[in-house]
Amino acid sequence: MTLTGALLSHYRRHPLQLAALALMILLATMLWSGVHQLTGQARDSLARAEQSLSGGREAVRSDGQPVTVDDFVRLRRAGVCVMPWLEVPDPDGPGRLVGIDPLAGQCLVSDSHSGRAPALDGDPFVDIHRAATVSAATPVDSPLHLIVGESPGPLPPGYESAPFQRGPDTGELGRSFLLNLDALGALVLMITALLLRAVYRLGQAQRETSFVLLARYGVPDRVIRRRLVLEILLLSALCIGPGVWAGSALARLLGNGFGASLEGLFDLPLYAGGTDWLTPALVMTAVVVLACVSDLLVPARCRAWLDRGGRSLWPGVILAAVGGAAVLVVSGLAATFAAVAVVFAGVGLLVPTVLSHLADRLAARGVDELRRWRWRELGVMARRLALPVVALQFTLALVLAVQALVASFEQTFEGWLDQRLAADWYLDVPAGADAGPAADWLAGQLAGVDGAAWHRIRRGSATVASIGADDGTRASHRLDLLAVAPIGPLLTRWHLLASADRPWDALARGDGVMINEQAARRFGWVIGDRLRLGEAAPGAATDGLPVLGVYADYGRPEGEVLVAGSRWPAGQTPSFEGFAIEPGTADIDRLIDGVTRRWGGEAPEVQENRAIRASANAVFQRTFVLTRAMTLLTLVLAGTALLVMGLVFITSRAWYFRLLRAWGLSGREVFSQLLRLCLGLTLGVALLALPLGIWLTWVLVGRINPEAFGWSLPMAVYPGFWLELLVLSALIGLGIAGLMRRSLAREATS
Amino acid sequence: MTERAPVLAAQGLTRAFASGHQTVSVLERLDLSLAAGQSLALIGRSGSGKSTLLNLLCGMDSADAGTITVLGERFEAGDGEPAHVRHRRWAALRRQRIGVVFQDANLMPALTLLQNVRLRAQLAGQPLAPCRDWLERLGLAAEADRYPDQVSGGQRQRAALAMSFAMTPALILADEPTGSLDRHTADEVATLLFDTLARSPAGARGTTGAALILATHDPELAARCDRIMDLGHRASAGRASTDTSS
Amino acid sequence: MRPVLRITERVVASARAGLTVRHRLMVALWSLVLALLAGCSGDDGASGPGLAPTLSGGDAGGFLQPGPDTGLRFPADFGPHPRYRVEWWYLTANLTTAEGEPLGVQWTQFRQGFRPRSPDQAPPPADQWPLEAAWMAHGAVSYQGQHRFEERLARGDVGSAGAVAEPFEVWLDDWQLQQVAPRRWHLTVRSRQAEPGFGYDLTLTLNRPPVPQGDHGFSAKSASGQGSMYFSLVDIRIEGTVTLDGKRLQVAGQGWFDREWSSQFLKQGQQGWDWFAQHLDDGDKLMAFRLRDAAEPFVSGTWIPAGGDPQPLTDAELTLTPLERRDGYPVRWRLQVPSEGVDIEVTAPPGRYVNDGRFPYWESPVRVSGNRAGVGYMELTGYGATDD
Repeated sequence: MTLTGALLSHYRRHPLQLAALALMILLATMLWSGVHQLTGQARDSLARAEQSLSGGREAVRSDGQPVTVDDFVRLRRAGVCVMPWLEVPDPDGPGRLVGIDPLAGQCLVSDSHSGRAPALDGDPFVDIHRAATVSAATPVDSPLHLIVGESPGPLPPGYESAPFQRGPDTGELGRSFLLNLDALGALVLMITALLLRAVYRLGQAQRETSFVLLARYGVPDRVIRRRLVLEILLLSALCIGPGVWAGSALARLLGNGFGASLEGLFDLPLYAGGTDWLTPALVMTAVVVLACVSDLLVPARCRAWLDRGGRSLWPGVILAAVGGAAVLVVSGLAATFAAVAVVFAGVGLLVPTVLSHLADRLAARGVDELRRWRWRELGVMARRLALPVVALQFTLALVLAVQALVASFEQTFEGWLDQRLAADWYLDVPAGADAGPAADWLAGQLAGVDGAAWHRIRRGSATVASIGADDGTRASHRLDLLAVAPIGPLLTRWHLLASADRPWDALARGDGVMINEQAARRFGWVIGDRLRLGEAAPGAATDGLPVLGVYADYGRPEGEVLVAGSRWPAGQTPSFEGFAIEPGTADIDRLIDGVTRRWGGEAPEVQENRAIRASANAVFQRTFVLTRAMTLLTLVLAGTALLVMGLVFITSRAWYFRLLRAWGLSGREVFSQLLRLCLGLTLGVALLALPLGIWLTWVLVGRINPEAFGWSLPMAVYPGFWLELLVLSALIGLGIAGLMRRSLAREATS
Repeated sequence: MTERAPVLAAQGLTRAFASGHQTVSVLERLDLSLAAGQSLALIGRSGSGKSTLLNLLCGMDSADAGTITVLGERFEAGDGEPAHVRHRRWAALRRQRIGVVFQDANLMPALTLLQNVRLRAQLAGQPLAPCRDWLERLGLAAEADRYPDQVSGGQRQRAALAMSFAMTPALILADEPTGSLDRHTADEVATLLFDTLARSPAGARGTTGAALILATHDPELAARCDRIMDLGHRASAGRASTDTSS
Repeated sequence: MRPVLRITERVVASARAGLTVRHRLMVALWSLVLALLAGCSGDDGASGPGLAPTLSGGDAGGFLQPGPDTGLRFPADFGPHPRYRVEWWYLTANLTTAEGEPLGVQWTQFRQGFRPRSPDQAPPPADQWPLEAAWMAHGAVSYQGQHRFEERLARGDVGSAGAVAEPFEVWLDDWQLQQVAPRRWHLTVRSRQAEPGFGYDLTLTLNRPPVPQGDHGFSAKSASGQGSMYFSLVDIRIEGTVTLDGKRLQVAGQGWFDREWSSQFLKQGQQGWDWFAQHLDDGDKLMAFRLRDAAEPFVSGTWIPAGGDPQPLTDAELTLTPLERRDGYPVRWRLQVPSEGVDIEVTAPPGRYVNDGRFPYWESPVRVSGNRAGVGYMELTGYGATDD
């Protein structure tokens, strides 16, 4: 047998181990590279959206109407260099395409004095005809933009130039969200590295005798080590390719939802992009090599020191304490994540030691000798299975925290939707129809009807500026404007995050405005600040309107101002108009019919509360789909690894179970011991994961979420889910025990 | 030597193992009987069936044919008794009345020597107080609170004997109990074994001390037993006996 | 004959173009644009073998191919011909400033079809940003040894570029040539950059009906029958202003306007052309061109007497001889029409008159000497590659 054959014979005898290693590398690569690809793509899109046209401006119509191809022609024929820009969803995958007209865009290049030509090169840019074709085929409206150069000069009457911006400035939020995902990805990578290391070291321990044998046959140690490194490199090479491929498949699968989330939450487009093979391949190879064969690179003396350190509680305690304190004081996402990582590292060092100390303590206390044996055995297991145990604990904590985050979000969102969608029916007024008479008629019809309530909604946008204490106007911002009249029970049910005294009455009188949480956070506006809506009339003194309340407005980036209907700017055409109707005892069909007749016959779009709610929920399901998928897959990974490890561990202890049989325990009794051991281990891990998970929940909700999403959530805990996790851990324990029983039975018959 | 009631009687024990396509017969129609307090050495080359026979005699393995009567319990191959019932009966015997000593690894590594002895005694339903005495009697007073990996191989085997005695068995089955020990230590362990066996109490169950079956390669050890059975020469099985007074 | 452009793939991807859209579709379309605007597969194979079949395949893609029977129709033929692949509107003007300094002006607008369309077929809706045709406009002013040039691009059917036969108008962005009164046109061109910039506002008075070139307007471009529809307005009185770096110059002079369309101009192997349009002092006009080939060049032209019918000139009746090169371009020529007793030398003024757009070519005013005097324009294409 050749040296290679001799070395590889181990895997011939333990094909499961090889398969587990390969599967773990593959899964880890898939998970991480999938996430890496999505966030990379999104970050790239963000950078491109910001940089390709940094300082760029667009031509807009002075009357506020969206620009069309006619405006393009008018501007071009007036000698203005404008280029059309049409963003559409990529029909072949996640992300978006940007349609441009390179023929029209040529003048942007020659006009660019600074030489900073827009980089409209390659993905995601396509010819605008293709984008227009996609746009025509999708129900979503894709607005056209007309890009002008950096210094376009005067535009013809009826047009003005504005900074090219496809939404509010949410770049920071979007970046934080991506950092969030990246951190999650890094955590997953760390967990899988632990697992990989565990399984690999286990195999190495089993091969130790054959290495000694080979050394005795005169094979130099360094040759063996080189073979081992080669072996793991080869395995990585074989698994990482398919892993990256699966990762990009995963990215494609999740990409659409992810892109929609990004766009919905941050107005951050996800442009179509290619697959980056190199980075994931290199990173994963590095991780695999580090996790598996770093020992061969570390001098024996250091290893001994590390081993000694592993038995002391202090390094873990210090790390966890320092990290925990840091989370409290540091600001900024990256620093918070770093602090969290330190806490995890500390806990990771601590947990196996604590578990085994705990088990030993319990063993010392008992009077039942068999129970003492079980506790002692559990302590040994906790030490010997330290890596997968820590990995399982991390994963459980992560799953718990993410679930709490998602669940508390869902709960908050659900409550918020209840307020927001208080009415049963929503009518969209057709474009061009005058809803005024219909509103008057409705008021008459529903006056005095039991349980009836209604209001008219107008949406648009407005320039809003805050007025300082010195009566000077601060910078103005373009915000969404929501006007509601009358201010009735459908509205006053809203829960306000902060409010002045009797805010709804003041709002109804037109004596103030309310703003959403996004606007409050972004511009630092608080109750009592005075805001001015619209352009100031020259010379006219205006005190502005005080902020009466701040309301939650989940799931979109725009700042919004809520005013009473009477405050709707004169002459401004709403971009959307509708009615919310709670008919009470009145007949909704008759109401719709009557309203329709008031504006001359064109039927309104009627939406039922349920349908809107369903679509809103669908949007939010997508927000966390990636996070959930990642945590669940990691859990599967961790569970599998613990299963494999537990199996091997118990196989190495098989003799002692045989001893128990020799001492007169029946097969059933022996299995019961085994079962209790396995359950003790996994349940112990799960119990220890609880505090870490709760702490992580707090970090996510209290520290990370406001930075990543722009709105905060109340912290909630879900003991029901803890129970589910405990059951899951018990199942993993049962799985190990079940597999063990089979392997013990095999042992007994051989 | 006075004749005593047999602790163990086996008739026609047959056991064969599948090896590839062949069936290798290890034991064939073996008869055996052992009286209370008697000791029997099983000798023979490797593979002659010493361990197999011990496994059959403690119920860790089942015979293909034959009958075993041990401590009043009768086991007959192929008599239609459900396997789990048979296993339970054997387990009860091992737990309380049959001590099994292997060549090594008789101790739980996570427990101290004393804890191991206590565990064995507790399983057998014996009082725990004498456990430390048993260790002392086997010269392990100082090592009682050490873990198996902290003591020598001979000390581990002595602890294993202490465990067996602590359960006050009627029968001890020992498979090469000194096989992994050096000559000197092996002698020491053997001496302790036979001394303790001789001075073991008549037993709560009214027997005259534990009977012993010992599988060994060591002629000196075998010579200390009341009888020797050479499984390598089946013809003399059950008959060849050399009494050595103790 | 007026086409100018010589394709080099290098240009397609050139950094100078700045705006390269690497999307495969766009590359394909662009290659097509460039190849077909040039109407020529180039002399060095650099244009890519993939295009050669399209170019040599006759009316591939459903475009019509003109022939001697096609005939001219007015005023319709002033407008676009969407069933043909390529066409252009081409004005050159030999003007003089108030101080008597010669000044040359060129304005050209090209249409490149990607998909043929019959005249009765409605154009695709503009909001689909169709890509069935692309337009390109060139404007140049040559004055005191300086040559200024700007190129504009636009897609067809959107509205920012187009042409209409009646009332006549050709436009791309804010550049336009349009009829302002019967037999009176107005041309406006303004470069985007003010410095160094140029512009012109010229009024054109058309003094003579269209002159068909070749055989009833079919101008052969090779011995094997490829050719184009081609007519000219050879007697145009021009007045107006030319703005250079913000300075306005009053100018007047005469112009030459060409309309030409086809779906294929050159057969494979033809490398470029040399084209001349000359206003002789006594009112006679001469158009001559030479298509260069690895073997024998194809020479053709038209003698247009001041008061008589145009006379097509064949290879035997017309000789073109390059005499002197500058920057790789032959800038002095001997033109001979023995039947008319014409033996003249045509010389470009000092300077470099290269239209440095996507497809560089020489376009300069010329002075005529020899046994007749006069002015005119000269266009030289297919020399670019040997420059670099």
